[in-house]
Amino acid sequence: MTFSHSKRAAMISAMSALVLAISACGNSSGTSEDDGGSATSASISWWSWSPDNVVANHEIAEFNKQFPDIKVTYKQVPSENYAAALRPALASNEGPDVYTVNASGAFSGQVMAPYAYDLTAAMEKQLGPDWKSKVYPEGPKAWTVDGRLIASEFAKQSAGILWINQDLFDKYDLEPPTTLAEWKSVCQTFRSNGVGCFRQGMSGSAGFELDLLHMITNNIQPGAWTEALNGTRPWNDPVFVQALETMQMLTTEKIMDEGALGFTQYPDVNNAFLSGKTAMVELGTWYAQNATKVVLDASLEGAGVSPSAKRMTVMPMTMPDLAGKGHPETIFSDPDTGQSVNAKSKNRNAAVTFALWLGTTPEGGQVVANTLEAVSTLNGVQPEWDKIDLVNPKVQLPAIKKITEQAEAATEPRAVGLGAQTLEALNNACQAVTGGKSPASVVDAIQQAAEQDKQGR
Amino acid sequence: MTTQKAHVTTQAQASTASPGSATTAEEAAQLRSGRLSRPNGLAWILPAMVVSVGLLYYCIGYTGYISTLSWDGASPLRRFVGLANYRRMLGDPVFRGALWHTVVFFIVTFVAEVILGIVFAALLHSRLYLRTLYKILIFVPAVLATTTTAPVFRVIYAQDGALNDVLQAVGLGAYAQPWIATGVFPLLIVISMQVWQSTGVVFVLYYAAMGQVEDEILEAARIDGASDLRILVSIVWPGVRGTTTAIAILTAIGSLKTFDIPFLVTSGGPNYTTEFLGTQIYRVSVSYSQVGYGAALSIVLLVLALGTALIINVGGRREKRADV
Amino acid sequence: MFETRRLRTRLLLQLLLTTLVVPFVFPLVTMVRVSLSGAGWGNYQTVLSVPLLPRFFLNSALLAGAVILIVLACTLTAAFGFSKLRIVGKEVYFWCLLAALTLPGVVLLTPLFATVTRLGAYNTLWAVILPVAALQIPFTTLLARNFVDGIPDQLVEAARIDGANMLRTFAYVLFPLTRPIIAAVVVLVFINSWNEFLLPLLLLQDPEGQVVSLVPQFFVSQYTNDQTKVLTAAVLSGLPVVIAYVCLQRFFERGLAAGALK
Repeated sequence: MTFSHSKRAAMISAMSALVLAISACGNSSGTSEDDGGSATSASISWWSWSPDNVVANHEIAEFNKQFPDIKVTYKQVPSENYAAALRPALASNEGPDVYTVNASGAFSGQVMAPYAYDLTAAMEKQLGPDWKSKVYPEGPKAWTVDGRLIASEFAKQSAGILWINQDLFDKYDLEPPTTLAEWKSVCQTFRSNGVGCFRQGMSGSAGFELDLLHMITNNIQPGAWTEALNGTRPWNDPVFVQALETMQMLTTEKIMDEGALGFTQYPDVNNAFLSGKTAMVELGTWYAQNATKVVLDASLEGAGVSPSAKRMTVMPMTMPDLAGKGHPETIFSDPDTGQSVNAKSKNRNAAVTFALWLGTTPEGGQVVANTLEAVSTLNGVQPEWDKIDLVNPKVQLPAIKKITEQAEAATEPRAVGLGAQTLEALNNACQAVTGGKSPASVVDAIQQAAEQDKQGR
Repeated sequence: MTTQKAHVTTQAQASTASPGSATTAEEAAQLRSGRLSRPNGLAWILPAMVVSVGLLYYCIGYTGYISTLSWDGASPLRRFVGLANYRRMLGDPVFRGALWHTVVFFIVTFVAEVILGIVFAALLHSRLYLRTLYKILIFVPAVLATTTTAPVFRVIYAQDGALNDVLQAVGLGAYAQPWIATGVFPLLIVISMQVWQSTGVVFVLYYAAMGQVEDEILEAARIDGASDLRILVSIVWPGVRGTTTAIAILTAIGSLKTFDIPFLVTSGGPNYTTEFLGTQIYRVSVSYSQVGYGAALSIVLLVLALGTALIINVGGRREKRADV
Repeated sequence: MFETRRLRTRLLLQLLLTTLVVPFVFPLVTMVRVSLSGAGWGNYQTVLSVPLLPRFFLNSALLAGAVILIVLACTLTAAFGFSKLRIVGKEVYFWCLLAALTLPGVVLLTPLFATVTRLGAYNTLWAVILPVAALQIPFTTLLARNFVDGIPDQLVEAARIDGANMLRTFAYVLFPLTRPIIAAVVVLVFINSWNEFLLPLLLLQDPEGQVVSLVPQFFVSQYTNDQTKVLTAAVLSGLPVVIAYVCLQRFFERGLAAGALK
């Protein structure tokens, strides 16, 4: 009896000791007491959901031309796991030295702000005390939390256009539509030939349908979306009811391909577009990278298109004037990605060097700009057009140059300021009206979510 | 049969076992009459308890603590809110929907897997051709990772997917539609993938249990003129009750926990029609950064899972007693 | 089981079996078909030339092996204890063990991560081995306990009469009889450890330390989701498990047939 008692007691005390030891040291303080190590020679780790390993290694190689002694190890975490994986990593002492963040959403810089190191001093050292005037101003605005600069922006992302498969339009002798009537007729032609017309993916929480709703809203009432983001216009305003009605109309008038609620924009819609199953998609200026041979080949391969097929010509297109009011199209833009430095990093100075490189040096900015995927946030950095190998330069170069310039100049915000629940509510609303629900019945939920986000609930 | 043989051999082995530390004749007598108590087993369950319970109970405790907070998981600012998160759950329509989907999911998958499992097991105990091939084909889905098989199901049920192709090929093209986007179908798709994945395991367990049913009883029933169906219902089904109970428990816990399939195939949508507790916890904790609410949902999940398992277990035992 | 003496019934039952199995095979066929679309066998070439691929297979094998050993050790001892020995509050402990089964993975991430880094195991294979083993043990103990229940108590008592202590009883009496359930546990645990994705993603940093289940993700980036290669990688990483199951299938069957669950 005594024997078993002591055994049991031993077990209990062992377990409690284990639990106590673990819980006692859950969160250590975030500051490191060391000097941060060398700024030019160290081994650091970088986490992001994008780019893929090939592109990342290219970027690191370019970085190493300037800083050969900083070894960077890149780890790509898929975006659907990124937030869940980043959180515990940053909470521990073994997290990445540099991690990429968005300006909104589940892995925004703001969400991870408590773990980030204040980059203000480093920025001033890099670009001078007037550094804010040398970069896209929205970035520092979005990424300054409690007076600390928690991420160094390097790219801005824009949307507000459609992309078309020029080859399909040429094949059926069609012009890109500019009015609702023209769009309907173009779609009829496509469908009678067994091709989809305009495909949109609304499944999941990627939220590309918000860009579509934004475009439609701008077409009805320019500036309304921005006002809603600021909170000066409620989300159940009649403008948004009309916008949702228009979106619903796209389905009922057979402009939008059937099955939107089951498609994800990536990969379903993208693959369908790349394999010629549908002629038009709504995607942002990042799609310009598919006008380059290198990226298009990789995209086509990923879509399961045979490598012997002819390369397709993608062209940007303004959305037809659905409201008929003649409002000009606008491109809206957000700071898209920034690099944050882990405050607990043991190689903080080297991490800062790397984190700032893409967004504050001409070489880094050039790397960003030349991909055509995003626009560099460093003022005055343009893509080097003569170095970029387009699929069909005669047709594509003027159009893509134009949208790139528009993207660089764009000041209207895209989604920064949208709370997580508002975003979800907007997604739900788009899904609901595409599924047949009445727009007037879904807008109140959006406004409710916005109020909850504002209260911080 | 095999266990009895084993019994005989090991008894022979045991009797020639160790000298030394001989028990007294009195103890031996007590053992034989069943009155001597068994030795204490606490030390034996210690490794399992320490590894599993030790590692995971910290997680449960930590989750319980967080469920009383309003916290975004990162900032040092944690606000104690007591039971507010639990109160919020009661009024949350998405939560209620998730519970409803879980119940539907559990019932349908359980019934489908049990019927298929038993039918397969019975068929594969009969003298048919290529049995091993069929056994492998049924079990392979259980072996593949969900992250890799989910895209396949999205491809099959898509607008231009394999299922619609098949329907058109057999002339039922009128029914072709974007299954994964319409009405009640997303939930059915999620259920179908679960059944596809798990029937193999259920089958293997039933196959094993059915091997225990003695041939003489089956022969006797057949001589009496019983049909195959009657044999299945009156002899086989009661004979595998223990297996059925265990499968019910595991399916119930699995249904409550279900996350991979709805997350990867339908993302909990469209419009929360395939939202489960697991996906809601993920959405709330990771996308909204409301880890306090997420933790509260997790604790409720744990309580529900244990409660259901207890009820099923008690029910199973009672039926067993009624059998004897 | 079913009446198969007449050819007609045999063919009918065969047809029934085949019809029921078709929906199970259909997704597998689709998987292989998509993995061969686009570049065809070139997809397999690409996936097989992922650098360090053999290393990943090795890491997965090490992970699976270590988890199996730990799980077996804990399961068999616990099954012996629960089934054959006296423990005060036995059922309470057992249900505590089962409770560990009920938490979904996402809930475990943060505290698990904290525990693992506290133990200094971050970025080592142990960081994945211990949690994966911990998550398998409740289920395998449930199975093993039922199995050991089927071994007659008299065997254990007979050994006691003859003077063997519990360690000896376990080693010489019980263990030889557990071969069937060991086979079952090995197959189930192998499947789960081989397919474990989230914990390796989170806890393994080094490029050389990755496991095979992470390979499909190499072909997914923000804009390109190379479905064809993802499925190719899936087929390739699933092959070892399928082969293992096919080879062990008879033992696995025998293991459960010897009375895992009654």
